Amino acid sequence: MNAEPHAARPVGPDVLEIENVTVTFHTHGGRLVAVDSVSLSLSEGETLGLVGESGCGKTTLARCVTGLIPPDRGLIRLDGTELSRRRTKRDHRAVQMVFQDPYSSLNPRLTVRSVLTELLSVHGLARGRDAESRCRELMALVGLRPNALDGHPVAFSGGQRQRLAIARALAVEPRVLIVDEPTSSLDVSVQATILALFDDLRSRLGISILMISHNLAAVRFLCDRIAVMYLGQVVELGSRTEVFTDPRHPYTEALLAAAPRIRPAGGETVRLRGEPPSPTDRPSGCAFHPRCPRAEEVCAVDPPALAPARGTAALAACHFRDEQRYVDRSR
Amino acid sequence: METALAVEDLTVTVARPSGRFRAVDGISFEVAKGRALGLVGESGSGKSLTLRAIMSLLPAAARMDAGVVRLKGTELPHAVRDVRKALRGRMAMIFQDPLSALDPLQPVGAQIAEVPRRVLGLSKRRSWERAIELLRLVGIPDPARRARAYPHQLSGGMRQRVVIAIALAAEPSVLLCDEPTTALDVTVQAQVLELLEDLRARLELAIVFVSHDLAVVRQLCEDVCVMYTGRIVETGPTPEVLAHPLHPYTLGLLDAIVDLDHPVAAPEPIPGALPDLEQIPGGCSFHPRCFLATEECATAVPPLAEIVNAPPSHRSACIHSDRLRAG
Repeated sequence: MNAEPHAARPVGPDVLEIENVTVTFHTHGGRLVAVDSVSLSLSEGETLGLVGESGCGKTTLARCVTGLIPPDRGLIRLDGTELSRRRTKRDHRAVQMVFQDPYSSLNPRLTVRSVLTELLSVHGLARGRDAESRCRELMALVGLRPNALDGHPVAFSGGQRQRLAIARALAVEPRVLIVDEPTSSLDVSVQATILALFDDLRSRLGISILMISHNLAAVRFLCDRIAVMYLGQVVELGSRTEVFTDPRHPYTEALLAAAPRIRPAGGETVRLRGEPPSPTDRPSGCAFHPRCPRAEEVCAVDPPALAPARGTAALAACHFRDEQRYVDRSR
Repeated sequence: METALAVEDLTVTVARPSGRFRAVDGISFEVAKGRALGLVGESGSGKSLTLRAIMSLLPAAARMDAGVVRLKGTELPHAVRDVRKALRGRMAMIFQDPLSALDPLQPVGAQIAEVPRRVLGLSKRRSWERAIELLRLVGIPDPARRARAYPHQLSGGMRQRVVIAIALAAEPSVLLCDEPTTALDVTVQAQVLELLEDLRARLELAIVFVSHDLAVVRQLCEDVCVMYTGRIVETGPTPEVLAHPLHPYTLGLLDAIVDLDHPVAAPEPIPGALPDLEQIPGGCSFHPRCFLATEECATAVPPLAEIVNAPPSHRSACIHSDRLRAG
């Protein structure tokens, strides 16, 4: 494997620790375990990618970390201190989220300046002339002109609104930035500018980022480590190189194989059958076994733990995690 | 090869408070029986309006001002009602969001059966059997049981399969697809693309596939048209266009994509932004964003033309294409 950009990023102390977090919802269809005992950590300056199909619990986990949904079990630590169920203003300041849809996450009635100055004043960060200069600084940081401060959100294009949403999140100098599908509502040529912006922000600010995306190419470009989720659980966790070149969970392999590519791939790829089952109706044993091309009898009975695999530093929740099957096409 | 669908000089204008503006500007293309053509472009490129104009499903503000649509050589009438009648059983369209295309209050089987009953005049019983056959055709397991399910009881991928079944129910020869896999997960997208591929071969369907995703188009379509501000700026066999783009916009799009298999290269954004419909630049509309632009580019709209040393099927609307060809 070639040296990928930012592969040799120094790993600092953990900023965020997620320990055994479980989130359940009660629905007409019964109890739904959206996030099932997930443990993850994010270190200083690191970008962690969270991938999986819709309904795998990645957004629920992110909302839980942000404090929008309380976990049923488990705890979340920020810089070693447990975050209580009722977050303080400081906690909220430390963890900021950029939502998927920049059209609905900005107040349409306020100018960009009023959105930002209100935020700065609520958190006691800057007022008056200081606030104005901070606003200008933020515009420069996300690549917008200072006169953008006078506009209302409707006056901006999708890419510019995403920049505004990022500026809003960065205004309070968070420790952790959570980004939910930052490029999925944008045009291809605009996606590139937003990815470049994130790349620039993390090298300049050294901020820790938790990025949720189903765009595997974007995740591979930006993230140091990747967690793959299936039906509420982390099924594979490893560095970018490990997960993308030597995945050990058949689900990760299938995701990689299914991604459409500009350049034709050599050889046949494995097609995954069916769709994820409903989380209210979780299959026994390994939840992936009904769709898994590798499944054996044991898989229907015994749920595999997320454990180290032989020959790689990644963790995989598969009984056959020691087998190397994937043919990396980037070589 | 037999031409299933031909579009000539199609022009669509859209009404805005300040006047009417061209959203589709005189485009022409053909699709042969059993072939798939991709229309690729970013939002505002006119790709969806093109499909809707062919299907006579334009929104109220839009109007087809010029152009001819031929189905198997026969020109379609101009009045909306006549077009719909002429299309019935010959051309069908599927959309991005399968849930909004289905009636939430009717079992999916009944929604499919309605088509053979009304269009082909089959009996009630025969149409229900046909609905089950169609569900089987689009790869839905246990079709007799699934036919009685309501849309909300099916997953996103299943719903898109049902929509495809409805589209195929009257045995059309042309299928128009407007971003049919955009709302789906990659694994399900791969399955739906495989289904379309299979149906195309088995039923000899001609497919026009609109997408913003070049990689998806590469999987399904032999030929591709790249659209920018309502014009086709490049067209040709898909592998050829992707490997040797002859228009700077196509090149820009390719450079803007992060390649999953070659993640080392940072994506290179195209400078500037897509122009608004009301402010489309004169001459080549891409010239303000183009690295090859010269004064000449601002004066005349370059025609979609063959390029020296490129295969004749590969055409580009750029006067500097030879410089891209040279590398």
